[in-house]
Amino acid sequence: MNKMTSQAQSIPTYCYQCVAGPDLLTVRVKDGVATMVEPNFSAANVHPGGGTVCVKAYGLVQKIYNPHRILTPMKRTNPKKGRDEDPGFTPISWDEALDMVADKLKEIRGKGLVDESGYPRVAVSLGGAGIAPHYMGTFSAFLSAWRGPIDMSFGSGQGVKCYHSEHLYGELWHRAFTVCSDTPLTNYVISFGANLEASGGVCGVWRHAEARVRGMKRVQIEPHLSVTGGSSAEWVPIKPKTDAAFLHGMIHVLLFETPREALDVPFIKQMTSSPYLVAPNGFYLRDPETHKPLLWDTNQGRAVPWDTPGADPALEGSFTVSGIEIGADDEMWPHEAVACPTAFQKLLEFEAPHTPEWAAAICDAPAETIRRIAKEFLEHAEIGKTIEIEGRVLPFRPVAVVLGKTVSNGWGGYDCAWGRTLMACLVGGLDVPGGLIGTAVRLNRPARDRQGSVAPNPDGFMEYPWNPTDRVNWMARPSVRHAHSTLVPLAADSPWSQALGPTHLAWMQQREKFANWPDPTVPDIWFVYRTNPAISFWDTPNVSKTMATFPFVVAFAYTMDETNWMADVILPEATDLESLQLMRIGGTKYMEQFWDYQGFALRQPAVEKQGDTRDFTWISTELARRCGLLESYNKAINRGAAGPTLKGDTYDFSLDPSKTHSVEEIWDAVCRGASAEVSDGAETDGLEWYKEHGFKVRPYSRLKWYLFPTLEDMGLRYELPYQERLYRKGKELGNRLHERGIDWWDTQLTEYDPLPTWHNFPEMIRQGIARHYGNDAASYPFWLVTARSMQYSWGSNVGIQIMKEVADNIKGHNGVVINTGKAKEMGIEDGDLIEVRSAVRATRGHAVLRQGIRPDTLLMMGQFDHWVTPFAKDFEMPSINTIAPMLLELTDATGSGADVVPVAIKKLGGGR
Amino acid sequence: MTRYVMIADLRRCVGCQTCTAACRQMNGTPPGVQWRSVLDLESGEYPDVLRTFIPVGCQHCSHPPCMFVCPTTATRQRADGLVTIDYDLCIGCGYCIVACPYQARFKYYKPSYAYGTPIDNEIALRDARRDGVATKCTFCIDRIDAGIAAGLKPGVDPEATPACVNSCIAFALHFGDIEDPESNVSALLRENESFQMHAELGADPGFYYLWDRAAGKGEAK
Repeated sequence: MNKMTSQAQSIPTYCYQCVAGPDLLTVRVKDGVATMVEPNFSAANVHPGGGTVCVKAYGLVQKIYNPHRILTPMKRTNPKKGRDEDPGFTPISWDEALDMVADKLKEIRGKGLVDESGYPRVAVSLGGAGIAPHYMGTFSAFLSAWRGPIDMSFGSGQGVKCYHSEHLYGELWHRAFTVCSDTPLTNYVISFGANLEASGGVCGVWRHAEARVRGMKRVQIEPHLSVTGGSSAEWVPIKPKTDAAFLHGMIHVLLFETPREALDVPFIKQMTSSPYLVAPNGFYLRDPETHKPLLWDTNQGRAVPWDTPGADPALEGSFTVSGIEIGADDEMWPHEAVACPTAFQKLLEFEAPHTPEWAAAICDAPAETIRRIAKEFLEHAEIGKTIEIEGRVLPFRPVAVVLGKTVSNGWGGYDCAWGRTLMACLVGGLDVPGGLIGTAVRLNRPARDRQGSVAPNPDGFMEYPWNPTDRVNWMARPSVRHAHSTLVPLAADSPWSQALGPTHLAWMQQREKFANWPDPTVPDIWFVYRTNPAISFWDTPNVSKTMATFPFVVAFAYTMDETNWMADVILPEATDLESLQLMRIGGTKYMEQFWDYQGFALRQPAVEKQGDTRDFTWISTELARRCGLLESYNKAINRGAAGPTLKGDTYDFSLDPSKTHSVEEIWDAVCRGASAEVSDGAETDGLEWYKEHGFKVRPYSRLKWYLFPTLEDMGLRYELPYQERLYRKGKELGNRLHERGIDWWDTQLTEYDPLPTWHNFPEMIRQGIARHYGNDAASYPFWLVTARSMQYSWGSNVGIQIMKEVADNIKGHNGVVINTGKAKEMGIEDGDLIEVRSAVRATRGHAVLRQGIRPDTLLMMGQFDHWVTPFAKDFEMPSINTIAPMLLELTDATGSGADVVPVAIKKLGGGR
Repeated sequence: MTRYVMIADLRRCVGCQTCTAACRQMNGTPPGVQWRSVLDLESGEYPDVLRTFIPVGCQHCSHPPCMFVCPTTATRQRADGLVTIDYDLCIGCGYCIVACPYQARFKYYKPSYAYGTPIDNEIALRDARRDGVATKCTFCIDRIDAGIAAGLKPGVDPEATPACVNSCIAFALHFGDIEDPESNVSALLRENESFQMHAELGADPGFYYLWDRAAGKGEAK
């Protein structure tokens, strides 16, 4: 029966509009018209959120029929680009559009894949933290087939809108690109602005609701009362960017105000580097022969290598010992009878001054609150308890500290990530049932297997794929414009690494020259898909001006927006419910997606494509064919660029590399490869099977939710609290940069601190801006912050009417949130038009008076201030991005910045 | 006897509006006509503030004020507790809209559309009988009736359950027969603290809110 013309049918598909997915749904279709979205009830027992999808998915029907869609390819007729330049887009055929793009690519291949500065001539920007590849069909295979460098460093919010420090340090410490509580078992969560009821997706909301009802307590510490704060047991309104001090205060309580035996001493001794001896120059004391770090064995009364069987390491104290110390660039110091404290002793000395009273003065939160929360955390940790998971007995520590965006990026992000991971270690709760656990790896490999990514290093830690900093291998010449492999050793060099670099630099260097650095160049061609950096990055007016200088921009587009306004060619793709793709589901993946299954789900056309839009896989195949890359494109698909590999030991569904395959042929082969993978080669179900059933899964061991068993089996330790490797990397990076005369990264180098010295981060931000612009920091007394909106975040759905309508039910979606008392003091009433001014420029919006925000803080939800996007351009909703400066002063060592802007406000007029 | 009721667990609700959007789609209501929505309320003063999310809509009262004021008998009550509106009898006088203590009724004279002119899904779901008359949440009455006819159990089988309940990503909304002591809703009410909104008005709403009185969470202010 033809699904497009039959009676009402339910078509199974997936939603991956946000990184907290994918989730499974069905689309009701009647007489060829999609009318509504429903949960996939058949997945209720498989999907960790009961088979439901969040509010964003309910916008997909309108997305199909939105009259503002671009339904035919277009080319620009006005060669001038800019916000005030009408592009003069005119419809063209697919042949003409694709030939224009293919000709440009062939021209580039003829000129050379990199330009005179060594930068790739091809640039690609994809939005939504890894969402885009699951909507762009086989375009990943096309990019693979290009077989040349591609610059993906023109970010659209990466680094400033993500959990950046958590990503990088999380991967270093416990293979945790994102980190969360083990919510089904956790009983106590301290959340520093982790707005997971808005950004944790269906699974986050579902799991936390279940946990609350069974009695889990969550304390939300944040400047404004978010939807997550609203559903928490307690709200602590902390001063923005002082979270690290609060964490230090709690660590102080654990170390100095509770008996040592109340902590998980066995875990600290055996599973962390706490007993390692630290030599006078700040590096571990090592065995002269094996170079292994030493610890003090209380059984033998002498220093022994870290892995000496039967050793009972001393946790505290300083010991007179001999050995060698190896610093940066292999500098070596022999030591004879020197005093070496343990790393834990260093921690004690470091945290001694950080009393709750010290923290209270910084955080504007009562010392007794800090003290009480720390003690509640400890009481709930149930140290000593165990739990059996699938026959294996593991520690059970039902407590966690989680971090939100802004807390976990920019200055202080390292400190917070360190503090919360250390708190887990002190109670033995890192990556154990109930505790603080990682979800997935993106920088370590293989990306689909956290446990499989663990390899031992000689120091007893997990090996990490650092970008090299030694004299021979350091990448002095950046491979891409934001220079992640040159400037950020932690960013590694995986397919995700470019998204984790200092994306500021790619944009900033187009406008200002950095000393002793390659000359800035623009890419010859820039592909843009499902992203709108002209709205979603910082200092967006200047980002717009910069992209207007790009000579050839190809935008895969749904409607007009502020970025594709600068495009030369617009290619309209069939949208979410009109096109075909298979995606991995299950396992553990981002935020709170912890499944007991893993496998694949199909996204399929529920209705016919609108207008002359095309499936992204068709577009990719045509581009490959027209560029003469068809063979390598097909081979990339065969290797797994679209998901599973198409050839295994017992099966072979490989595409003939020499032929042009239809969209259905390609995905049928991919589906068969997926079936074979899920069934260990026993099944070969193809596209038609997935169209009917939607997904195919097999069980996923819950033991794989945790890293602890792997470390225990391999005899490895977490490198906490002392950061010797990081310290060495920072020293080496500094040496390399200074050898080249580069000193503009010196402030960032200070973050390579073995124990994160407290800096007054709010003042760093305020004074950094004041210095840069030469203004008076006191002129901007408020802090402007932002918050995710579940209805919009990552969704590229700002032009969808129903999203606007329902989002407006949630306070803050239609104006600037300000404390009621403060507003009254300033003569501002609810709805009044106010100006919000930063050191860069001003914006305006209507005041939304709320009690749930600090008097010194303002809130602008989401990312708005559209000026082209149909429907959204009439919102009159301001955006932090318009007035957030993009400065090196605001960039931390990992290349990220935080959404915290010092601002001033004034009333402009009466209500709406 | 059967009386269908809905339960909203305020400890679970996070105000995401998924139910609002699901209702809009299932019932094809025009923009702004939200038979189901979730209020975002604040109580207290800084820094002692609570933020509470409260799903609202027709409460399907057992003594419905809307029904008593209806001059045409368009608004009626079924034996299973559902309060209904016969669009053919309704003259759009609006008495019921004024009488409803829950602000759960809507009336529009002309249809409106998401983008001005109707798009395909709006055309497919448009119900001209609703123009100019009172409308409100029906508890997805068509799903309930069709489901029962197919041997399904409302509140248990999704095909026989209101769309808002099915859609809820926090498992906060529940539906079932309060007269059945073995039902899901009876068990929830037995095992948890609950209240009816504006119970003092005596309408005996068929909509219950679960909350944690000790924690103050979910208290309707």
